Amino acid sequence: MFRIAKSGICIPAHHAVSRRGFLSDGTIRAAGAVTVAGCFASDMGQIHALRSEEVANELRKQDKRVILLWLAGGASQFETWDPKPGAKTGGPFRAIQTNATGVHISELLPELAQRMQHTAIIRSLNTKIADHGRGADLMETGRLKDPSILYPDLGAVVARELGRLESKVPDYVSLYTSTEGRRKGTSGFLGARYAPMFLSESMIPPNIARLETVSEIDHHDRAALRDALGRRFAASRRNHTVDSQNSAYQRVNGLMASAELFDITKEPAEVQARYGPTQFGHQCLIARRLIEAGVPFVKVARAWWDSHGQNFETHQELCADLDHSMSVLLDDLEQRGLLKNTLVITLGEFGRTPQINSSLGRDHFASAWSCSLSGLGIRGGVAYGKTDPEGHTVVEGEASAADLFATILSALKIDHKHEYTVGARPVPLADFGSKPIAEVLS
Amino acid sequence: MLSHMGIFCRCHLLAIMFCGSSIATADELLPADTEITTAIDHYVQQHLVTCGVAAVEPADDLTLLRRTTLDLAGRVPTPVEREWFLTQPASDRRRLLVERLMQSPDFDFHQRNWLDETLLPNQPYNDEFRNYLLTAVQARRSWDTVFREIMKAAVSEGPEKGAAQFLKSRVSELDDLTNDTAILFFGVNISCAKCHDHPLVADWKQDHFYGMQAFFQRTYQTRKTSSLAERPFGEVKFANVGGESKTAAFMFLTGDVVADRTPQLADEERKQLEERVRKLEHDDADAEIIVPEFRPRDELVELALRDTKGQFFAKNIVNRVWARLLGTGLVDPPDQMHSGNAPSHPELLEWLTNDVVSHGYDLRRLIQGIVLSEAYGRSSEWSSGSEPPAPSTFAMAQTRPLTPRQLGASLHVVIRTPEQWPAIENTEEWTKQRTDLENQANGWVREFEQPGENFQIAVDEALFFSNSGRVQDDLLRDSDDRLLGQLKKIEDQSQGIETLWLAVLNRVPKPDELASATAWLDHVPDRKDESRKQLLWGILAGPEFRFNH
Repeated sequence: MFRIAKSGICIPAHHAVSRRGFLSDGTIRAAGAVTVAGCFASDMGQIHALRSEEVANELRKQDKRVILLWLAGGASQFETWDPKPGAKTGGPFRAIQTNATGVHISELLPELAQRMQHTAIIRSLNTKIADHGRGADLMETGRLKDPSILYPDLGAVVARELGRLESKVPDYVSLYTSTEGRRKGTSGFLGARYAPMFLSESMIPPNIARLETVSEIDHHDRAALRDALGRRFAASRRNHTVDSQNSAYQRVNGLMASAELFDITKEPAEVQARYGPTQFGHQCLIARRLIEAGVPFVKVARAWWDSHGQNFETHQELCADLDHSMSVLLDDLEQRGLLKNTLVITLGEFGRTPQINSSLGRDHFASAWSCSLSGLGIRGGVAYGKTDPEGHTVVEGEASAADLFATILSALKIDHKHEYTVGARPVPLADFGSKPIAEVLS
Repeated sequence: MLSHMGIFCRCHLLAIMFCGSSIATADELLPADTEITTAIDHYVQQHLVTCGVAAVEPADDLTLLRRTTLDLAGRVPTPVEREWFLTQPASDRRRLLVERLMQSPDFDFHQRNWLDETLLPNQPYNDEFRNYLLTAVQARRSWDTVFREIMKAAVSEGPEKGAAQFLKSRVSELDDLTNDTAILFFGVNISCAKCHDHPLVADWKQDHFYGMQAFFQRTYQTRKTSSLAERPFGEVKFANVGGESKTAAFMFLTGDVVADRTPQLADEERKQLEERVRKLEHDDADAEIIVPEFRPRDELVELALRDTKGQFFAKNIVNRVWARLLGTGLVDPPDQMHSGNAPSHPELLEWLTNDVVSHGYDLRRLIQGIVLSEAYGRSSEWSSGSEPPAPSTFAMAQTRPLTPRQLGASLHVVIRTPEQWPAIENTEEWTKQRTDLENQANGWVREFEQPGENFQIAVDEALFFSNSGRVQDDLLRDSDDRLLGQLKKIEDQSQGIETLWLAVLNRVPKPDELASATAWLDHVPDRKDESRKQLLWGILAGPEFRFNH
């Protein structure tokens, strides 16, 4: 005799009745109802979002998603979005006409050049910080690091704003396989609930699958036992850390069920072939699978763009991977009707110097560099901002990291001025004084 | 060094819940020879009366045994310790326990781990620093001595050389040296005063930030030997909001300034000196390290220890020890000691600060006084439907997550069979075993997050407990040397369940728990060994084990 439990797990009936029965017959049970919250920062007493829940829920219903393609190490704007052919800083590559009138990009991105209807380029980032660690701090969170407060990164903010509390899938996944520049990302003051599921060693998340030595029944029953003990303990303690442990365990089953989202062999061979043989391509496909299943934020890192030597060979190789993988991703999202609610960002910690050094490399440079935004909320075919003919400085439309974050949040229709309150300190979603770039927003 | 004027930061403005205490002058405080415990309970009780809040009941003896052992020994009690505890006279048990634990090698390990987690939070395996701290704690060095050794970083041989790791790990970022020293040793966060006078805290001006920075500006690391050194010259320049350029004085948080006694040199001499320092800093060549006569970090140490006005150095350590043991600081958060964020118990902080200074910064004495107080010994349970009292009243004990090392060591304590623990008198054997236990605990550090402000347990930890081979194959192993192996041999099932509860949760099961566990094991009679494993898992992964309460 078998029956299917609510959880979908097949349980021998006698076992289910008796063992699970004792868990629900009142012997071990919480003394009172316990909020399973502790998840929302606003439940923590310390951090409070001023937005009403209705607005937040309305946002969540719209199923908005973000894919961040993180170009770790810093890609050259000259070899990607802001070519300067003929200038003494321009390097050997040509600029090519894209399908957007008047917009030229490097010839190293020929496939993307044919898809500019989805994409806006920002060529006028001046973010000032040109070392990897602090540059990444700035471009991941949109603000300078501050010793008195731990800021959440973009993924955590989006997870907090767009993730559903009851979601069975993770709300922030970060794929970072290479070791160069690897950073886990941080949910800062939003707490571990919004920390990324971080994949570095393999493309399957750690500890996501049940061990064969533990039967499904045991796995299920012991979790129920733990929850019963957990509720009982929490009932006589009003403690958000205790609550956070209970809610962490309650998410285990849902997350385990999402393991197959990371398995690209579940995709038709034809789709796998389109994404191509590179690891970055595979990870873009995983990102699409996650987005499709409702994960609000996926970061895919591609390293290592830090071309202090042989800048041009490095970019020939890496741009080919970026060009193809991102193009297939945009096509795939569009065909599935997902691009209208998915924002794709390409960004790194900074760009690269106009000067070409004696090793034919370009060094770190954060005063005049580029990034791109595609899909949801973006006016495609636009190249915003301008650098001087040799690319040393921004001459038009200068944008800071905070402005970029305000733009990203605006594309998602999240009010960038909304404030979290940490202690008594107001922390707006995008830093004080930031302004969205209206020209790239649809 | 010019500050970046374009950046506007907003800083802590803390709402203060203040229940009417007023700050007493020194002669209104309890006499200096009052017992620490008595002073604590006097002031906490006084505050409770003012607030109209009643303290909850004291925790029961076994709960206190577990709590105190976690706080002083960094792990849960062993069965041998529990038996010993229960045979002591009830009226004196607690004191005897505390005295025994404070003499044990456990205390030194745990005290070292706490200092390490506090001072180098991002480097859980900095062996040089950890060895130094252990040496210092074992030698019972006072806190001002440790501070001196860390800040001077003057020893390059033996375990003492590890003291330099605090500065070395921050030497590439002058702001980190400045801010972290102020936060961790003085309990103040002046980072917001970098770009402008602090917008919300009247105490902190740009002069304070750059004054503190001046003490570190000359610090560098030599290229060849990675030694910490100070340049015999150098100053901090900054621009105020008006754009006016200023040179920072060597100024402490109290406003006290030390004169710059850098010797004046002729141009040629100075050039030569600069060249020698440049080589030490940047060239991979052998050269003798220059030790200047005027050493700003030494000056900082002396200023901080002479400070009787703000007592920043002494107050900070009192507050941090208090927060560690009671879950919330007398000043909360601990890096916000300033006039806009008054202590919950100003007289108590004042009294304890005076006590720690007059007793030579002996942290053992302070810790012992706190853990023997009534405030420390209260129950952490709140079963009434009404709002529980605020943590800052200390009317009840707080439920605190274990640190990764506490959790790792505790896991290894509970999975062993009771016979493996040496008799309580056999301190030699215990010292050996405790060292092994410390190494085992180290192996778990990466699996758990270090608790901090607003700490939440991540789903990664839940997935790790649920699905990792390490938990299944190690913690749940039922070989003869393990608790589970022993439980297999106990014929009386109730006795087995009681042994399990005592071993893991340090208490006997309640009747309903005994009934439930019995039903759990009886359910599939031919699978009892497996069911017992899952029962152990359910308890180990539950909050009663995960927290100190």
